[in-house]
Amino acid sequence: MLTFPHRETWLHRVNPSLKLLIFVALFVGIVLIHNPNILGCFTVFLLVLLASWTGHPWKRLLIYTSPFLLIFVSSSTGMMFFGSGTTTWYRFGLIHITEESFYRGVHLGFRSLSMAATGLLFSLTTRPVALFYSLMQQCRLSPKYAYSFLAGLRMIPIVFDEFITRRHALKIRGGSGKRGLKRLYEVLQLYAIPLLAQSIRRAQRISVAMQAKRFLVESKRTYYYSIGYSWYDAAFILLIGGIYGLSFWIGLTYPVLDVLDVR
Amino acid sequence: MSMSKRNSKGLTLTDILVTIVIAIVFGIVYKIWGPMYDVVKPLGLHAEQTVYGMWFIAGTFAFLIIRKPGVAILAEVAASAVSAFLGSEWGISTLVYGLAQGLGAEIFFLLFLYRKSGVVVTSLAALGAAMASLGVDFYYGYISELTAWNYTLLIVLRLIGSVLIAGVFAYYLSKALEATGVTKLLRPVSKRDLDSLG
Amino acid sequence: MTSQTINSVNQLRLKYPGEETLLFKDLSISIRKGEKVLLLGPSGSGKSTLLQVLSGLVPDALELPMKCKEQVVPKRWGYVFQDPDTQFCMPYADEELAFTLENLQVPQAEMPGLIRKYMEMVGLHFEDLHVPISTFSQGMKQRLAIAAALALEPEVLYLDEPTALLDPEGTAQVWETIQSLSGERTLLIVEHKISKVLQDVDRVILFNEAGEIIADKAPEQFFTEERESLIECGLWYPSIWQDYDARHRAEKRDVPETGGPIVVIRDFVGYRGKQPKIHVPEATVHAGEWISVVGSNGAGKSTLLLAIMRLIQTAGDCQVGDYAGEKTIQIAQRTGFVFQNPELQFLTDSVEDELMFGLLQTNKSQVQCKQSASELLTRFRLDGYQDRHPYQLSMGQKRRLSVATAVSGGKPLLLLDEPTFGLDAISTFQTLELLEELRRKGTAIIMVTHDLDIASRFSTRIWTIEEGLLREDKSC
Repeated sequence: MLTFPHRETWLHRVNPSLKLLIFVALFVGIVLIHNPNILGCFTVFLLVLLASWTGHPWKRLLIYTSPFLLIFVSSSTGMMFFGSGTTTWYRFGLIHITEESFYRGVHLGFRSLSMAATGLLFSLTTRPVALFYSLMQQCRLSPKYAYSFLAGLRMIPIVFDEFITRRHALKIRGGSGKRGLKRLYEVLQLYAIPLLAQSIRRAQRISVAMQAKRFLVESKRTYYYSIGYSWYDAAFILLIGGIYGLSFWIGLTYPVLDVLDVR
Repeated sequence: MSMSKRNSKGLTLTDILVTIVIAIVFGIVYKIWGPMYDVVKPLGLHAEQTVYGMWFIAGTFAFLIIRKPGVAILAEVAASAVSAFLGSEWGISTLVYGLAQGLGAEIFFLLFLYRKSGVVVTSLAALGAAMASLGVDFYYGYISELTAWNYTLLIVLRLIGSVLIAGVFAYYLSKALEATGVTKLLRPVSKRDLDSLG
Repeated sequence: MTSQTINSVNQLRLKYPGEETLLFKDLSISIRKGEKVLLLGPSGSGKSTLLQVLSGLVPDALELPMKCKEQVVPKRWGYVFQDPDTQFCMPYADEELAFTLENLQVPQAEMPGLIRKYMEMVGLHFEDLHVPISTFSQGMKQRLAIAAALALEPEVLYLDEPTALLDPEGTAQVWETIQSLSGERTLLIVEHKISKVLQDVDRVILFNEAGEIIADKAPEQFFTEERESLIECGLWYPSIWQDYDARHRAEKRDVPETGGPIVVIRDFVGYRGKQPKIHVPEATVHAGEWISVVGSNGAGKSTLLLAIMRLIQTAGDCQVGDYAGEKTIQIAQRTGFVFQNPELQFLTDSVEDELMFGLLQTNKSQVQCKQSASELLTRFRLDGYQDRHPYQLSMGQKRRLSVATAVSGGKPLLLLDEPTFGLDAISTFQTLELLEELRRKGTAIIMVTHDLDIASRFSTRIWTIEEGLLREDKSC
């Protein structure tokens, strides 16, 4: 994601571990909201943040957010059509849209949207190397895990290329004519086995190579980057806390939808 | 120069790297799978639940390859991190689900003291992961507010699908991978091998 | 002079887990400080594993069943591996070198200076050292790996086939770099491409297939006394092509009489995404022709093969045999395709099933297919391996199997993407001679290669691709 060129914004300077913690706290915070007005407002704020401070160009942002509509629809319709409720609005076969199920569906849609927005916000403003150095320095993550993840990230494009080549090879050799469940398993096997075999061999080689560089020989290590705290962190906490609180106030004072609790 | 001897219970660097690449392969599959899931979901008849097991096959499979404590959790967290990194639409919630599912699977492997790795144990672990995901959904997706028949359908399909994919498929897939010989170097050196050196 | 022994192992016994036979049985080897040693032997004789034992990587980093009487391991050593893509864990070059420095507990303030020093030592000159490794060529990556090994200030440098997966340009760069750096250091080198290495070593140790040392001499003596061994080991020694030419001088190359057009291309473009990657204005390939596609990395050679198979977006005309459409499966009935990594083509668990898969798709009976499979096994020297899992074959065998599956069914066209890449000399010649046999029987061959020695000797025409355009088409 971040391999594409982008502008550095102040969000990039926020301590990555802190950012992660805040976003995880947001997950809990969002789950605790049951009023779609509040949640809708919060979602809008998040989308505004996404549009203004990630430093990526508009066109690319549009591509990243294009699945958002689909996310909203896929999360909300299940509940809308089949949720429980008493005030019927529409009925057709098994589909039974009620006032309650509709609002609940909308709420779920906003929930998924806000989740997706926070996810995108995080991944577009955080460099993986900075994240793992921060996790090692601030959260005492063992270097064994941190550098393994970083090594893994290097492997992703390689696995992807192998996936494409495998698809080409399978197209050329043709199918076996199996159907149904057996075919599902066969497809899984035909892709998973070669990809896993190449990757596992590579993992073993990387492990030996890292140890050949005296990794994990000493118990302490020095660091190339020092990730610390700054004013940006305070600003970030204030910003997120601020829009969370603001959403409550706006949602309760100027409700658009006629419901306070979707449970 | 002596390298630190890892204690036989902890995860070695190789264990961790192998788990992570397994998670990457399945994470990429999730990434390609995800959009399909979203398209099928709106129908509301939970057809997508039958293949829900794809979300945690990484955890059960990784344990079958590296039979040590913590591998299932690591694999699930890593797979979620990978799909989040690649731009997953579910954002941070992916990580929470991943952690929960990893724990759900890990518990069952733990119950058998990490010594069993047959089809039954793997299926139980898959069940554990599925139940954990239902637990998270309970708070996150209001699924208890679906009508009774819809709610039951979701649970049943998910549980069956999970056992099938993350249990049975994962088991046979691990056997198929072992047949390629790639996993030979992942097992600790056996006494037999040492003795046969003469 | 044991006081000067810097690296040795005495009575080493080692084997791979689950294998019956020992890789090394009571092997003893001793290296003196400052020696530059070259280890030679047939593929699979365990030379790389020996380097790993000598450095201590086995059993510390890689657990293998092993025991020995005594061992002397150098205090400081660096190791360069074969695969440029699995030596690094960080995305940027400076971060990767920093990784080694962090492991050595070098203070943060000293790191940038040291990083620049080591990068310059291997000829990687950048103003800003924060360069993504993904932009490096394979040769540059190996030089970065050497820099990382140097950062350990090693007394002994282990070089484990560092140029095996490099093209000729990368190979030359890497050996030049090593030459300039060797100085007083002890070097232990395993290699198959020995032309560039010979002038810099003072001791050559030869292993046989059983992992035993059968010769241990100075290079000059070696070449006069052990010539056959060089050939038997499949090494790329300096005069190898001259010797090959001498052996095959008498043979004549000719195109069979029945050479009708197999591939007809007009105004053909292959796209990657929305960008045109390869453009062929006009070309025709006849039966019995062998076309080598050459060009620099990224010029579009492999893309051309994918375009002919219509696996990527294309525009324009390309007719294969009697089919001019865009369905890959139809083209595949007339074309065999061999990928660079054979494992990505395998579908089954046994060599025989692998051959049968393709044969059963032609409308022959089960019995006829079994018969053909058996013939293929013999022709491609895979006899006795019919029940082996394809992934458990050696590299050369895997390549042969992938060519065998592509060839089964008597298809008129064969496309190959770097079929001899990374192979030793013996396997390379065998593969090429096999292809020549097919050519004589009328198969049209289009092969991507970066080896001009091969292209000029084996093909009937050479296509040169430059920046996505087929520029030259000459006969040889």
